[in-house]
Amino acid sequence: MAVQMTRLVRAYHSVMRLVALCGAAALVSCMEWEYGTEEEFQASASGLFICNEGNFQYGNASLSYYDPASRTVENEVFVRANGMKLGDVAQSMIIHNGIGWVVVNNSHVVFAIDPDTFREVGRITGLTSPRYIHFVSDDKAYISQIWDNRIFIVNPKRYEITGYIECPSMTMEQGSTEQMVQLGDYVYVNCWSYQNRILKIDTRTDSVVAELTVGIQPTSLVLDCNNKLWTITDGGYDGSPYGYEAAKLYRIEPEAFVIEREYSFTMGSSPSELQLNGSGDKLYWIDDDIWEMDVTAEYLPVRPLIPYREIYYGLTVDPRNGDIYVADAIDYQQQGKIYRYSSTGELIDEFYVGVIPGAFCWK
Amino acid sequence: MTRLYTILLLMCLCITAKAQEHRMVDGEHHVDIEGVMVTGNRPISDIGIQRTRFDSLALKENISLSMADVLTFNSSIYVKSYGRATLSTVAFRGTSPSHTQVTWNGMRINNPMLGMTDFSLIPSYLIDGASLLHGTSSVTETGGGLGGAVQLQSNQSNNEGFELQYVQGIGSFKTFDEFLRIGYGNSRWQSSTRVVLSTSANDYRYRNHDKKINVYDDQMNIIDQYYPIERNRSGAYRDLHIMQEVYHTLKNSDHIALNAWYINSNRELAMLTTDYADDTEYNNRQREETLRTVMSWKHLRSSYKLAAHAGYIHTWMAYDYERDPGNGVMTTMTRSRSTINTIYGDVDAEYYIGSKWLLTASVALHQHFVTSRDKSLVLQDGNKGVVGYNQARVELSGTVTAKWRPSERFGISAVLREELFGNDFTPLIPALFIDGVVSKRGNIVAKASVSRNFRFPTLNDLYFMPGGNPDLKHESGWTYDAGLSFAVGREGVYRLTGSATWFDSHIEDWILWLPTVKGFFSPRNIKDVHAYGVELQGDLNVALAPEWRLNLNGTFSWTPSINEGEPMSPADKSVGKQLPYVPELSATVNGRLEWRKWAFGYKWCYYSKRYTMSTGDLSLSGILPDYFMSNITLEKSFSPKWAELSLKLAVNNLFNEEYLSVLSRPMPGINFEVFFSIAPKW
Repeated sequence: MAVQMTRLVRAYHSVMRLVALCGAAALVSCMEWEYGTEEEFQASASGLFICNEGNFQYGNASLSYYDPASRTVENEVFVRANGMKLGDVAQSMIIHNGIGWVVVNNSHVVFAIDPDTFREVGRITGLTSPRYIHFVSDDKAYISQIWDNRIFIVNPKRYEITGYIECPSMTMEQGSTEQMVQLGDYVYVNCWSYQNRILKIDTRTDSVVAELTVGIQPTSLVLDCNNKLWTITDGGYDGSPYGYEAAKLYRIEPEAFVIEREYSFTMGSSPSELQLNGSGDKLYWIDDDIWEMDVTAEYLPVRPLIPYREIYYGLTVDPRNGDIYVADAIDYQQQGKIYRYSSTGELIDEFYVGVIPGAFCWK
Repeated sequence: MTRLYTILLLMCLCITAKAQEHRMVDGEHHVDIEGVMVTGNRPISDIGIQRTRFDSLALKENISLSMADVLTFNSSIYVKSYGRATLSTVAFRGTSPSHTQVTWNGMRINNPMLGMTDFSLIPSYLIDGASLLHGTSSVTETGGGLGGAVQLQSNQSNNEGFELQYVQGIGSFKTFDEFLRIGYGNSRWQSSTRVVLSTSANDYRYRNHDKKINVYDDQMNIIDQYYPIERNRSGAYRDLHIMQEVYHTLKNSDHIALNAWYINSNRELAMLTTDYADDTEYNNRQREETLRTVMSWKHLRSSYKLAAHAGYIHTWMAYDYERDPGNGVMTTMTRSRSTINTIYGDVDAEYYIGSKWLLTASVALHQHFVTSRDKSLVLQDGNKGVVGYNQARVELSGTVTAKWRPSERFGISAVLREELFGNDFTPLIPALFIDGVVSKRGNIVAKASVSRNFRFPTLNDLYFMPGGNPDLKHESGWTYDAGLSFAVGREGVYRLTGSATWFDSHIEDWILWLPTVKGFFSPRNIKDVHAYGVELQGDLNVALAPEWRLNLNGTFSWTPSINEGEPMSPADKSVGKQLPYVPELSATVNGRLEWRKWAFGYKWCYYSKRYTMSTGDLSLSGILPDYFMSNITLEKSFSPKWAELSLKLAVNNLFNEEYLSVLSRPMPGINFEVFFSIAPKW
């Protein structure tokens, strides 16, 4: 009996030691959450915001800020300033009246931030899948969507949705409105995913008043110094039921809303990211290389401005001095890199930002 | 380092009951502690094989768990979970989920479109036997397992007459789990019907660290912000499983069996922590109906064995993403439908030449027919169109093996495998295994193996619209294994076993889906990966006192998985870095203490931090810190004359850990489930 008791006591002590060890291991188990801290920033008077999309469904989008004068970059400024994440797929950003508006597509939100401190000042929610925001006035803005056949009308002062612009001949499943530019009372928007149109919206009635058919999938839209619209299509993809054709660049006369001239790329080219310089007289786009063309040119250029070196994903031109900024997303799973070139194509600077840098915004 | 020491300390103590025999006799639990196997009795069929077996105790210890949960707490492989009752994939040794081949009763059940298997849709209640074939060892069973293979098995229970068991589980988050098993058997026939129905609102609360709620004044100035306590939004599920098995022994002692498994799953896809949408305005839902059937025949004789299988899999999957645009009607944003039909056939033969030679050969066929419709369109001409693909592919795999054990201390095995996917043959896949007794004292056995292996692109990799890349090459790899195992013990007192394995594998042309400038993703062969490391396992089964039994087991793995490909551009910093979402360290400890009709179980697992970037950089937006997880169960059995009864309490996430397995996918805090089980005595 005594032997059994001794064994029992030994067993008990063995078990309790183990339980204590497991408990100790578990009690030191808290995840190392880095949250709750908010950094103070005071950004330079002028600079460049970079929207890093992040990986779809991972919620790791971020915002970077680059000061061209000092050649310094601050990454993840939104989460550092606000103690919360930017969200899932940072799509675009603009600055209007001293407020930055960051469109976070798969978080269904547009954040309003102070562009100096990067602190949030408000947000617009209730959106389907926002892509771009365009200000018609201080009291009214349009937000384009994908997977919705409506453009949302918002009051940016109250962060409220005030109405919708119904887009004709578009189902919700196939809905896609993208970049917006304004000339007078009319806003023009390109319809991209499985679409082939530019819509003309009367801002007085908030309704589509005309549509213009272009090539398959116009990806971007700009307005040049001569008040001409330019759009570039990607031509779809091989096997697409919607069609597959050579990509094209279009010059559009906005008032009559007709195509003035079209420039055709070779089959298989995938031009994207159509941009203008500050004076609006030169076009830029990515098609493996970086290309530049005068808005008065009769033909597409035959030699690129910056030859293919990386997998270019984003493009912008400094409106003040014409410097060209190109984003390399590398493997889309690491910090992307931005290359800064002079207007003549000489490398000036390079710096790492966030995951998948895709859009820019000049302050 | 403190955590590492803690893990190693636990490993030194760890143990378990994997090898124990667990039976019910007259309502009492008996745990037999086996003696140590004599080294010379090692089966010739397992020469050099690195296999982890799970017995019914590990599988049924908490019957509400999925196989994803079982593997999380009982093995060294990495389980990546997108949430509770949400997609869970497993990966061996730093490889990807599609590098893990999964078979059920011999039939491969990897989704041919995606390549991987969702283990959250495999209830452990339906699985009677499971084993892991690590690295090279998978070549003996199937091709394509660059990381390894998981074998799942349904086994007949040798009933005499009727058997009935019903278990009701009621748990946190409005979770109801119901389990029913009806069996009948005699000396020639065995029939078993199992039903599992799991429903849950799954709306667990968590503190959302990823967003803040704004408080505005009348002028819409932010006057306050706070991290909200949120519920897991849109995460409800209802999963139904019905499994029918019939086993028959013919007069000539041949065995035939029919196994059929029907799944009907309806799951909402929970919103991300960074989502600001109102969940009542959205429907984000995944549904699946799958029927898997396998018929098998076995002809066993003293010197040879013949077996044949025939099977069929039908899978229908639907994904719907809808929004109420304000008129109260859910309107489709994405409507995806996929149908997979697979015909399966397999013939195996084994022939013993004396006691020293074993020759085997097998041929397996899988013929897939896939229809995928992902988007409806209005075309340029106004007609309707569909984005998707319609493809069929035949997959043929044949293997021959020669195993030779010239003495009880040494064995060698050679395998040759050849595979055909569509019109493409793999080069010949060779594998070589050896084992030998290093010391009879302690039953120390050394094992080593080497193999080549290939994995073909999935049907989505090749044909998905848009983005499918028909020019993809197959992935290929070389894997090397070497290890030592030991076993000591005394029958009825204790049994201690352990193993340590080193592995090293190189995978070339790793397939990765990357965005394109056209706005969609497309797969490319871009990476070469060097995965290596060490796996440790330990098992202890000890009789502490006359009515006390303690079973402990543990695993530990160190798995660097390094990108050794060419840089994608001069800016690429990922070369030489750990792959994202692969923990370098992981460990588990399992304990079960029994006293009379009481049983206490403790499960513990650890994953080191996972990088979310290919460069191994840490960022505020993409951090997945390491975590420990602890679950416990307490069970009391009762044995009145008319039934076997038991009452069990399960506590998951005992220390209410806030943790993530995948970015922006919150996991539940502490939660409870109570089970009541009844099995009438006829």
